[in-house]
Amino acid sequence: MTDILLKLLEVSIWSGIAALGFGILFNIPKTTIITVFALGFLAGIIKFTLIHFGVSIILATFLGVLLVGCLGIPIAHRIHHPPVVFCIPPCIPMIPGYFAYETILAIMNFLILEEDASKKAALIIDMVSNGFTMVFILISIAIGISLPLILLRKSTVKKV
Amino acid sequence: MDASKELINETNLLLDIASLLMVSGANTNRVNLSIKRFADSIGYNASFFISQKSLIMTLYKEDSAVSCTRVKNIPGLALNFTIISAISKASWKALANNWDYNQISEEITRIKQVKRYPQILVTIAVSLAGAGFCNIFKGDYLNMLVAFVSTFIGLLVVQWSHRRNYNVYLRIFIGSLIASSLAAIGVKLNIGEKPATALATSVLYLVPGVPLINSFTDFLDNNIINGLVRFTTGSMMVLAIALGLFISMLIFNLI
Repeated sequence: MTDILLKLLEVSIWSGIAALGFGILFNIPKTTIITVFALGFLAGIIKFTLIHFGVSIILATFLGVLLVGCLGIPIAHRIHHPPVVFCIPPCIPMIPGYFAYETILAIMNFLILEEDASKKAALIIDMVSNGFTMVFILISIAIGISLPLILLRKSTVKKV
Repeated sequence: MDASKELINETNLLLDIASLLMVSGANTNRVNLSIKRFADSIGYNASFFISQKSLIMTLYKEDSAVSCTRVKNIPGLALNFTIISAISKASWKALANNWDYNQISEEITRIKQVKRYPQILVTIAVSLAGAGFCNIFKGDYLNMLVAFVSTFIGLLVVQWSHRRNYNVYLRIFIGSLIASSLAAIGVKLNIGEKPATALATSVLYLVPGVPLINSFTDFLDNNIINGLVRFTTGSMMVLAIALGLFISMLIFNLI
């Protein structure tokens, strides 16, 4: 049990670091550094805990990103920065890089190497399942981050 | 004569702000909001057309024939969230205190001078992010080291080609090719438990997250054309990354 918890904590801390790394590449304001790390960490812990309990990676990613988006608005009021500034970097570690890699690998094998028809069929399955997982994760990131920003904007925009 | 000159200056200032926001990676709605606030504070209405390459803006008053229309070209993307945040704050202050042209222009000059993070810090942070990615995809610490090194060198090459003003897609292609080649050497030498994770994550520092997320928010805000432009730019970048990965995998015979 402690083993699993430690593993979850470790991977979440690394997602926080990844979020922060990209934040620094995008030149985020110095005062948002802690927020970006915390949001990346939170999104990571939600995603990996859900995956651990058998939720599909697509839904887990969506919920993690949705949390970032929903927390973004109240935090924006507290630290006085627009939400996009610290909501985009924590989503970057959610990008399905490994699925993209597997998809490319399957496509290359299919096009260049394989002659055997039954192996080609197996490669098509690889291609489609990895490719669609990748696409749906990307869609869930996009919806998860922009939905709260758009839904909550009208009601909570600061009054002058 | 004097009044019209003032109006031209004000239009140019607002165009400058809008272009600064677009360059820094703000979505179209944020540019709209900020410009409306600044225009309100100097007492004009602003109507404008925003595209990825140029801005057209007219400043006018409801009950007079005085107006000014100007066009401005937008330079290439250079993400900078500090500028977005600072301009957003300035727009609130301007609206609350009814700033005039001089105050706004002073604030914008000040914002433009805000320093970026030092390049070495950026390089190390992004390389750490690459290592973090590797951990997320279940790589062990040796894999993470490979991912760190290949991201580090890839990013140095990208920065170098940026200084040489190479085409942006060529830049991304070169970065992807070099980073994935380095990680592919790691796969060949069989470093760590799952060397493939290092290869998959070595190119992720190039991922165009901001254009793609902005394109989606633009779509939802009904800024379809800007959204399409950003989406196409983002997809081209993804293609360039994939091509680099493809070629290095072919070279190292990893398929």
